[in-house]
Amino acid sequence: MENRILKDENDRVDGFLKVTGGAKYFAEYELPGLTYGVLVTSTITKGKITSLDTKAAEKAPGVIAVLSHLNKPSAPAYEQEGGSQMKIFYTDKIFYNGQPIAIVVANTFERATYAASLVKTSYAKEDFNTNLDKAIKDPKAKKLQGQPDYKRGVENAYKTAEIKIEQQYILPIETHNPMELHGIIADWRPANKVTVYAKTQGVKATQGTIANVFKIPIENIQVNSEFVGGGFGMGLKTWPLEIATVMASKHVGKPVKLVITRMQMFTMVGNRPTAIQKVGLGATKDGKLTGITHTAFGESATYENFTEGVVNMAKFMYQCDNVNTSYTIVPVDLGVPIWMRGPGEATGAFALESAIDEMAHELDMDPLDFRIKNDPEMDQQKNKPFSSKNIKEAYKLGAAKIGWSERKNKPGSLVEGPWQTGYGVSVGVFNANRGKASVKGTLKADGTLLLQSATSDIGPGTGTGMGLIASKLLNIPTNKITFELGDSSLPPAPSQGGSATLSTIGSAVNDVCLALKSTIAELAANSNMDATSNFVDVLKKNKLPSVEITKESQSGKERDNYSMYSFSIHFVQVKVHKLTGVVKVSKIVSVGDSGKIVSPKTARSQMVGGAVGGIGMALTEEAILDHRYGRYINNNFADYHVPVNADVPEIDVIFIDKPDFLVNPMGAKGMGEIALIGFSAAVANAVFNATGKRIRTLPITPDKILA
Amino acid sequence: MINFQYLRTTSAKSALALLQKDKNSKFIAGGTNLIDLMKRGVTAPEKLIDINHVPLKQIELIGTKIHIGALATNSAVADHALIKEKLPLLSWALQAGASAQLRNVATVGGNMMQRTRCGYFYDTEMPCNKREAGSGCGALEGFNRMHAIFGTSDKCIAVHPSDMCVALVALDAEVVLLGPKGERKILFKDFHRLAGDTPQLDNNLKPDEMIVRVEIPLNNLAKHSYYLKVRDRASYAFALVSVAAGLELEDNKILSAHLAMGGVAHKPWRLTKAEEFLKGKEATEENFAQAAKLSMENAKGFGENNFKLKLAPNTIIEALNLAKRKA
Amino acid sequence: MHSSDNKKNSGDSRRDFLKKSSLITAVALTPSVAMKAAESQADEKFAELFEKIPLNITVNNKAYKASIEPRVTLLDYLREELHLTGTKKGCDHGQCGACTVHVDGARINSCLSLAVMNEGKKITTIEGLAKGEELHPMQQAFIKHDGFQCGYCTSGQIMSAVACVREGHTNSRAEISEYMSGNICRCGAYPNIVDAIVEVKEGGMNV
Repeated sequence: MENRILKDENDRVDGFLKVTGGAKYFAEYELPGLTYGVLVTSTITKGKITSLDTKAAEKAPGVIAVLSHLNKPSAPAYEQEGGSQMKIFYTDKIFYNGQPIAIVVANTFERATYAASLVKTSYAKEDFNTNLDKAIKDPKAKKLQGQPDYKRGVENAYKTAEIKIEQQYILPIETHNPMELHGIIADWRPANKVTVYAKTQGVKATQGTIANVFKIPIENIQVNSEFVGGGFGMGLKTWPLEIATVMASKHVGKPVKLVITRMQMFTMVGNRPTAIQKVGLGATKDGKLTGITHTAFGESATYENFTEGVVNMAKFMYQCDNVNTSYTIVPVDLGVPIWMRGPGEATGAFALESAIDEMAHELDMDPLDFRIKNDPEMDQQKNKPFSSKNIKEAYKLGAAKIGWSERKNKPGSLVEGPWQTGYGVSVGVFNANRGKASVKGTLKADGTLLLQSATSDIGPGTGTGMGLIASKLLNIPTNKITFELGDSSLPPAPSQGGSATLSTIGSAVNDVCLALKSTIAELAANSNMDATSNFVDVLKKNKLPSVEITKESQSGKERDNYSMYSFSIHFVQVKVHKLTGVVKVSKIVSVGDSGKIVSPKTARSQMVGGAVGGIGMALTEEAILDHRYGRYINNNFADYHVPVNADVPEIDVIFIDKPDFLVNPMGAKGMGEIALIGFSAAVANAVFNATGKRIRTLPITPDKILA
Repeated sequence: MINFQYLRTTSAKSALALLQKDKNSKFIAGGTNLIDLMKRGVTAPEKLIDINHVPLKQIELIGTKIHIGALATNSAVADHALIKEKLPLLSWALQAGASAQLRNVATVGGNMMQRTRCGYFYDTEMPCNKREAGSGCGALEGFNRMHAIFGTSDKCIAVHPSDMCVALVALDAEVVLLGPKGERKILFKDFHRLAGDTPQLDNNLKPDEMIVRVEIPLNNLAKHSYYLKVRDRASYAFALVSVAAGLELEDNKILSAHLAMGGVAHKPWRLTKAEEFLKGKEATEENFAQAAKLSMENAKGFGENNFKLKLAPNTIIEALNLAKRKA
Repeated sequence: MHSSDNKKNSGDSRRDFLKKSSLITAVALTPSVAMKAAESQADEKFAELFEKIPLNITVNNKAYKASIEPRVTLLDYLREELHLTGTKKGCDHGQCGACTVHVDGARINSCLSLAVMNEGKKITTIEGLAKGEELHPMQQAFIKHDGFQCGYCTSGQIMSAVACVREGHTNSRAEISEYMSGNICRCGAYPNIVDAIVEVKEGGMNV
């Protein structure tokens, strides 16, 4: 990424390209002879294709080919048994409504779109179910354990507690819907050389999937993905639509570009699935938790299993000797879900953190005091100390900032005309992950540093963070540092997900910079220069244009001895209109306890973005299915309500900013997930505080307030 | 989308002539709804007649009426000094609709002609009597949270999505239509239709006619009017319920009340009974509540939209409260 | 349930009829491969003659002449024909604002405007905002206030923000938020975007 005209070292390194339209996303590469693919999708929810008439489409102007299960090109892996059943174009089976069943390739986008509308399909329909609740209640419906049941102490101890609550919480389907539409450009050349421009969170993962499906050597596949217009988890998988496009390119012998529609973004690239959860809490009269039971049902698909960490938080977040959890996945006839920001932990935190608030109310305690009273000294699940945890300090800072002292414990106390004001708080927590990655560093005699790794950047500011790490270690200004990513030929790195990129890649950057530093020192010593000489002088003296080092980095034994998590506390103030049921989030303070902050500006933006995502989850977002048809009703940006600018107040972000060197050499922990996790509960808790109405089914829309 | 033919014209007369030449042709002005519908396959005209160059963009005071040309854009009307001063209710209603970008091209005529946002109407794989007569109504027993509570039929419970039209109805607007035999003028409240047995027809514009302008009589409502739109997010969303309220007040006495509701019927819904009730009464919340109650006679929910039976009267009360306070 | 099936077919049959009666008959007896090639060539000729129409348009102060199908949107024309890919396709239905450009100075969604409807008009895209290396004040303010993360909505946000200032809808944070609500940002940079606009507005810079 170019790093031009930065006025401040904390500015985004790709800022110039992004504000001038110069940043190139996958669909924007010009390839000679480029053709356009458009998908034909199933209009039934379950069954088989009995006929697929492509004659009219093939005859339409500009059409080059129509590809389906009838004329599938070779994909050796699909010819083997096993694996996911969703082998695109290798089956006539329909697993969900909107499943891709053919791809039309034409010489313009408009012609391909029109021709796709000419494909006529007949089906043999089968009974289906897209409703999680119905499947849970149906004893014949398949149910699978999503995670081993967990038990510590006495099972369901809450039931015999002095004070108990037991409630059910429901989250609807939420869709990632990054602003950039999904798709890919695939260019299959003779001798099985494949180049793709992808929208992916992992160029190495995409490369591996294509190699595996087509059984061609991995080095024959080049994946480019320099700029990704948002992912939120959607890009953690190589989707059937991508394989379809690679097949199409192989078939027509030309590069094929596929950009799916916003409607298709709801069906074929995953979602945060519906979850129905129950939380039981028990406490003593003076407010010590004595039992936590968290059970969850989550949607999955019939052709592939999907699991996430819905019940993780209950196991360690609060001091409690009796905890049991269970998590069941239930296949329904929908496209398979995929982790969405905060993933299951955000789903689970809505239930647990709402329940904690309910218990505090039951006890007539300030929910903040209740949390502090039950704050654990160590991780009871792993029986290990936390590597670092500054939650109590975070509570204090956030409470002061939002004006928590204004809050009344009795709901509905703050009224001004038709508006009722309430305050809510919630905690978020996520694993402080660190994986294994390689980074190549090249110090050049022109005074610049080039860092390279096959990681990705979906927006958090990977290059900016890496530049800041290297800048401090090597004392090079950030505008002399370039970080290259999004290219599968670079040293390997894992996918960008699970809040691990800064920790994983940053550690490798750290290691490579230290190695470069000692190499320069050695060169200096060998050429009788002072050990602190500038690397430019050292390289010049040694007549070297550059030195390069590649380092692989991963964590050591510390991980075995400590429990490592990032934490967040979200405080919100809401105003609820008595007559119209409208909820406005009027103030937000999010506190991040995620170690040392490496890149303050982009870190703050991550927290702000998480809060905005949290407003959506809490108040506006719900992908609605008509279960009679298995089709979405609001599959567009007008009717599926992502928050807009007017929904969002000014947001205060506070960082604890204390390094945790057990996690990695920077002392920094990930932040992408904790920015969102728990936020929706803070809103629901604030709505309760404002109105006395406890909404346990998201999103909290005006109708629910008025009910 | 088929590769339709595209023609441009600069006069209303030639536009009408072109329209009559080909049955499957349509006018395009802003295109913000038509192109959307064409992309979704809901409509597929073979010929588009671009009328953007027809001189119908005027916003002017003629005698005691404000005339607004059918091709004036939503933003031109909303931001016009004359409208802001004399008809602020219209300005606010326009600003409550769509986005700044859409309002910059969407026209007054196009706003009137926009189709419902019902999800079943938009999805060509779903039943919808409005899109395809006789195919059934998906919303009746399906997802009907956004749907009508007044004047529904067993064929269709869709709502008209416009904000502007709600204000126009409240403001006693008239609409002027040009046909082969010349102009005719109808009350704007009679422009849109109830679904009845012909939900495919949104309005009473004849196939060989075009909208040329609206005329709005001057009034004394400017000091006390309010457009209150309740929606699922703070902006850029269609109304769950909206209310256009205008009061002519002397001290605290209501000389006349103008009220219409959006998001509740197949057409902008004028609240005549409430208007009559309020006339001559004191502007108090009790009277507003009584007016709201009167407005809800014959309202009917279909399940998911039952909440509108409560939201609608509440919104009427609050819109009247805010109109009263506005000055 | 395609209400539009008949209409689609009638459009096709018109084309088929014209094609048969003119261009194809000449190659009807040649081998199939040659025929396919000839057919596709004939298709292009046919399209040029009957289906495309001329367009004169100015984009970022540069005049373009083209011959295009009426169904091509301004957005697709900019991205696919002119390769001005700074303007983004986010929804293609006027529901997100990523495709915002200025037409004769007014911000519009280019996805809901046919290119041919912009005959004779002056379009400004994000690529036309900076003066060479010198960024427009709004672009600078977006960098300074980190008004984006992934960057995909950014072009539309900036074009909209510039228009918002020019329109004078910047009298309060609330007004800015309202008038910027036609531009969705999934990364959630909204408060930063408002900060950027406030700075440009208060700086009294020439936008």
